[in-house]
Amino acid sequence: MVEEMTRQRIEPGSKDKALEGLLKRLQGLEIPADAICWRRFFGSMILVLLTLLFLSGVLMAFFYSPVPGTAYDSVDHLQFNLPMGNLLRGVHHYAWNLLLIVMGFHLFRAFILGAYKAPRQLVWISGVSFFLIIPLFIITGDLLPWDQKGYWSTQVRLSIIGSIPVVGDLLVQMFRGGPLTGIVALTRFYILHILLLPGALIFLIAFHLYALVTRGLSGPLSGNGTPRPRAPFFPVIVNRWLLLFIVSAIGLGIMAWRWPAPLGDPADPTDSSFIPRPEWWVLFLNQLVTIFKGPLMIIGSAIIPGGLLVLMTALPFLDRSPERRPWRRKRVMIIAIVIIAVLTVLSVMGYIEHFVRPEH
Amino acid sequence: MIIAETGPPQPREHLQEKCVNPSRRAFLMTSILAGGAIVLSAAPLVSTVIVPSLKKGVGRWIDFGKADSLTSDHFSMLSYEFMVKDGWLDLPQRGFVWAKADSMEGFKIFSSTCSHLACNVIWNKDSRVFECPCHSGRFDPDGRPVSGPPKKPLSLLLHKVEEEKLLIHITL
Repeated sequence: MVEEMTRQRIEPGSKDKALEGLLKRLQGLEIPADAICWRRFFGSMILVLLTLLFLSGVLMAFFYSPVPGTAYDSVDHLQFNLPMGNLLRGVHHYAWNLLLIVMGFHLFRAFILGAYKAPRQLVWISGVSFFLIIPLFIITGDLLPWDQKGYWSTQVRLSIIGSIPVVGDLLVQMFRGGPLTGIVALTRFYILHILLLPGALIFLIAFHLYALVTRGLSGPLSGNGTPRPRAPFFPVIVNRWLLLFIVSAIGLGIMAWRWPAPLGDPADPTDSSFIPRPEWWVLFLNQLVTIFKGPLMIIGSAIIPGGLLVLMTALPFLDRSPERRPWRRKRVMIIAIVIIAVLTVLSVMGYIEHFVRPEH
Repeated sequence: MIIAETGPPQPREHLQEKCVNPSRRAFLMTSILAGGAIVLSAAPLVSTVIVPSLKKGVGRWIDFGKADSLTSDHFSMLSYEFMVKDGWLDLPQRGFVWAKADSMEGFKIFSSTCSHLACNVIWNKDSRVFECPCHSGRFDPDGRPVSGPPKKPLSLLLHKVEEEKLLIHITL
């Protein structure tokens, strides 16, 4: 059932000023009251984290110099010489790590409760497309401090991209802007990270919210189609969001102050002692790349991750029954559990290989 | 034609006018204009962002001096640093190669870049293999992959000796 949000049309002869109309529309926004509960805060939390990432990123950009020789020094200066600079970097660091986790929960919840089913297919698809953009943010962002970890992770990631047949080499060249990982590459990564990707992200957020407003929030599983009681968006949701923002900012700030964001040694292509370790979110992919060797590598680096993404995008069209109760959707649930189990096992294998017995 | 059956015979010009669908004409016009706008916007994108990226790395001969300290039983790390024009800036490019004296060919010199995912391989004196720290790939002293994900051998680098100096061809 489509839950329409309030639509106040301004009559052509109205004496209202333009902004008054907008204000009235915003004030008139309502959401189903059953959506206001602690189990449904993941979307708001994502918006909180993206806001924190945006704010901390802008402030860090004021002190960043995208040149291999000085990039590291500028980040070092921000973190250790500027009052609260340490907090900015830390909040940015912890916010994106937490963002991945919260996005995972958001996706998982929408999947379990069948929130992707008609008429909300577009909400789901626009949501899945975030999983295309966020890894690009991480790939481009990791290189910016120009420390050992960022430099070597970038080398490995670009090699993985380069292993894709036909287009791989071209993609890497486009990314780097040439054969070297130097100033041209760093400038490209920087522009992608602070200009093009945020632009695309804002567009995606607007699209996701538009789909949500026009197609409505998913109702409770026990819903019988009767109109649900509604609550005003302002001030109920706005105030809760602001509270969530304040709590998250303080929480991440304390983490950043207590455990500062890591900044390794400056990038050094000659250093033979540095052992790059994959990050937690990419462990499964790293393991796939290790399992499929030589000419089969494309299976691990492109076919499986790409296939997962296609499968997730196509989900609303593969599972079209209106049934939303998870215990009545056994086939979909079993497939999902198998996929999650395989990804978890791969991640644990990768963790053991790289962190528990790092003898090499 | 249905029109001819229901109404009185219509003049020829009128029928012809009906064939040109005004909304199709508008759509075609918009498509042509949009195509033009895209081509105009894409031209500088191609010339600045794409074409310069396709430049391949250039190889050059690097002088490593007298290589009399190289032994035939173990690989030694030879580091290099030279200036490379990267975009608009000359920046030092640093790296290293693995070299040893070889009775047959004079020298044997391997690139340090792992054939798997471009990490630096390290020569392990005790186990006599090259090890890659990233994904535990191993190569024997001839550069052939022996275990782990790599399937391709380490690349052998061209070298020559001129005036008792070892020159190695390095591509960046």
